[in-house]
Amino acid sequence: MTIPKPSPLTQPGVTVSDIETASEFETKLMRLNVGPQHPSTHGVLRVVVDLDGETVKRLVPQIGYLHTGFEKTMEHRTYQQCVTYSNRMDYLHGFGHDLAYVLSAEKLLDAQVPVRAQQVRVILTELNRIASHLVFFGTGILDMGALTLFFYTMREREQILDLFEMVCGVRMNYGYFRVGGLSKDIPEGFVEAARKFISGFPKMIDQYATMFAKNDIFVGRTTGVGVLTGEQALDYGLTGPSLRASDVSLDFRKAQPYSGYENYDFDVPTSDKGDVNARFMVRMEEMAESLKIVEQALDALEPGPVKDPDRRISLPPRQELETSMEAVIFHFKLATEGFHPPRGEVYVPTESARGELGYYLVSDGGSMPYRVKARVPSLINLQSLEPACIDGVFADMVANIASLDPVMGDVDK
Amino acid sequence: MSLIDLFEKDVQELENEGILFSSLEKLVAWGRSNSLWPATFGLACCAIEMMQSTNSRNDLARFGSEVFRASPRQSDVMIVAGRLSKKMAPIMRRVYDQMPDPKWVISMGACASSGGMFNNYAIVQNVDSVVPVDVFVPGCPPRPEALVYGVMQLQKKVRGQAFDQKGIELPMVEGWKS
Amino acid sequence: MSLTESVVTELKALGGKPAEFKQMVSVTVDVSDIVNAVQTAKSAGFNMISDVMGVDYLNYPQHQGKRFSVIYNLYSITENERMFIRINVNDGDSVPTITGVWHGANFMEREVYDMYGITFENHPDLRKIITPEDLDGYPLRKDFPIGETPTVFNDGRFIDPAAFRAGLTGQDSGLSGHQGGMRKGYSADAPMPDAPKEA
Repeated sequence: MTIPKPSPLTQPGVTVSDIETASEFETKLMRLNVGPQHPSTHGVLRVVVDLDGETVKRLVPQIGYLHTGFEKTMEHRTYQQCVTYSNRMDYLHGFGHDLAYVLSAEKLLDAQVPVRAQQVRVILTELNRIASHLVFFGTGILDMGALTLFFYTMREREQILDLFEMVCGVRMNYGYFRVGGLSKDIPEGFVEAARKFISGFPKMIDQYATMFAKNDIFVGRTTGVGVLTGEQALDYGLTGPSLRASDVSLDFRKAQPYSGYENYDFDVPTSDKGDVNARFMVRMEEMAESLKIVEQALDALEPGPVKDPDRRISLPPRQELETSMEAVIFHFKLATEGFHPPRGEVYVPTESARGELGYYLVSDGGSMPYRVKARVPSLINLQSLEPACIDGVFADMVANIASLDPVMGDVDK
Repeated sequence: MSLIDLFEKDVQELENEGILFSSLEKLVAWGRSNSLWPATFGLACCAIEMMQSTNSRNDLARFGSEVFRASPRQSDVMIVAGRLSKKMAPIMRRVYDQMPDPKWVISMGACASSGGMFNNYAIVQNVDSVVPVDVFVPGCPPRPEALVYGVMQLQKKVRGQAFDQKGIELPMVEGWKS
Repeated sequence: MSLTESVVTELKALGGKPAEFKQMVSVTVDVSDIVNAVQTAKSAGFNMISDVMGVDYLNYPQHQGKRFSVIYNLYSITENERMFIRINVNDGDSVPTITGVWHGANFMEREVYDMYGITFENHPDLRKIITPEDLDGYPLRKDFPIGETPTVFNDGRFIDPAAFRAGLTGQDSGLSGHQGGMRKGYSADAPMPDAPKEA
């Protein structure tokens, strides 16, 4: 086995090194290091670019500065404990990761998730998608030099976080889903609060539209920048809203519906332009579609159980512990060992705010997953940065990074 | 006693008791504590809550800390927001070294303070082993209010109103000597 | 005849062994055939590479054969079907790269190399991607320790996380002293289905 030598690019702290001479123009390529501590790289992304003047000639993303060892750690936790880890991977769309993980575990177990639990999951996941897109707009436009929108989007995000706080007590990193349902039912007053939010939100979308979507400076800055054709995007494995901006209509909520998405009426917005502007606008339309889904799910909400009644999967209700010995035994077993899914390997694709997200679980019949592989969208979407940026100017790289919406926790795992 | 002797005695008194300079030092510390500019060092989940703390609801600007500087050369306090991987640790130390003295560090969140739930090969278990931490803010992630409270605690420390576990007053940062 | 079935038939001619588990079709092919197999699937209509991942079967109960598997996750947008192609490799074996078929396999293969130490021949940029340069070993191998530090209390007591967890899950009496009943995942009331059978 031959191990390739590490390239000098990977050495930390390399800023400007080997200056090569380009023969044709007698100009020099300059190697520039951006990040990992940089305000416009969305966290700890590091990009090494070779510049000819201001034109990007080569670009290599260097990642791993937030490597947390999720997959290794989840091999040492029970299936239920893993729910606390999955949402910290993509901290902006935590419910999406939770949902992807529990769907895989449920497929392994053949668990029957009650309808109400599925509806609540859809409501929370879609609200979280809106919250995630709001951060995308705020920080993305901030990277391009406009500060104001950030405060507006963060204002609406606070309202969504208030809803989450009602449900599970925390603003981020929820851990509210359980394998087989939810940890508990949604509180009284949640439906009214959610309705109040969705009745007011379309007005806010219009406000954003006047602030940046119809703003000449923004349109001029983003139109025709970082164009990715559909073939290119598929070649590089791009998924999610960024792929749909390149006119490929792939949305796993439509293609392979899960959690009852087939019951809701919504569209998949696409664009045929494939530039930075299209990637912004597709997400903008997606927020309105998410709102539609939430509204329908709230209408369809009926009282009922929120957990799989199978005692081998979900904890017994608290009041039963006082009267039933059997419940105590099941509770003890679940709280210490957890459940034991059968041997096998499963994968369930879902649509996160960033693209295709799925957990490939390998079970050896024990109480902990043998192998957890998260197919994270951000990592694979980041490859498209290179074709999007090549032969563009350096300042557009920042717009391109923002439009691909990488979350570094999702990239580095 | 001649006038010169009297004057010399006054100067002696001033120098011994340091009235003038100690008051000036307090004034500097007061001013400094009310304009603690953080460096943007967002790592993970906590960075989002750090961003939220500057928004209209929580308004960190009330305490003079809303000016997040991208350059470490212009900042006074580093808020380590999120889990610090071993790959990132040398870079964080470098950013810290680039900050001008006097400088402070807030360790925000469980992961930065103790490794949190990530007890594994990849994560630094306490950022205090990389940079000296002044204030630890607990939570996963801490609410913006918690971060604002942490900044207020740091202001107390800068003003010399902080005490250690035994109740002994902690020394204030030297005004201009360093 | 669906797209997956036709591709499975084509891959059988290459010597592939199909298997199915919960409507997920996977075909095991020889290491040397992988580029050919992936190319076949792509030209038949699987137009998106979703993922390339590795699995280390070192501690897998009753596992026979080679230690690692590399799994290619392919998806067809037009037909809305998904299939998996797998190859089995031993420690030290190298695998032909499929970056010639899809550029998007670049980061995925680098991740497998970084986490498992499986090298990919002719890969354009085979370097570590996620772990630090100075990290020895491959973290997701089963013989790589997770690297936990004990939880220390003020009075000098400490908890060893591995022993504590083993006690809770019944692999070991551990510090809690609890002897787990449902060891190794087998119990009388829950009959366990077998591993995926070869069709």
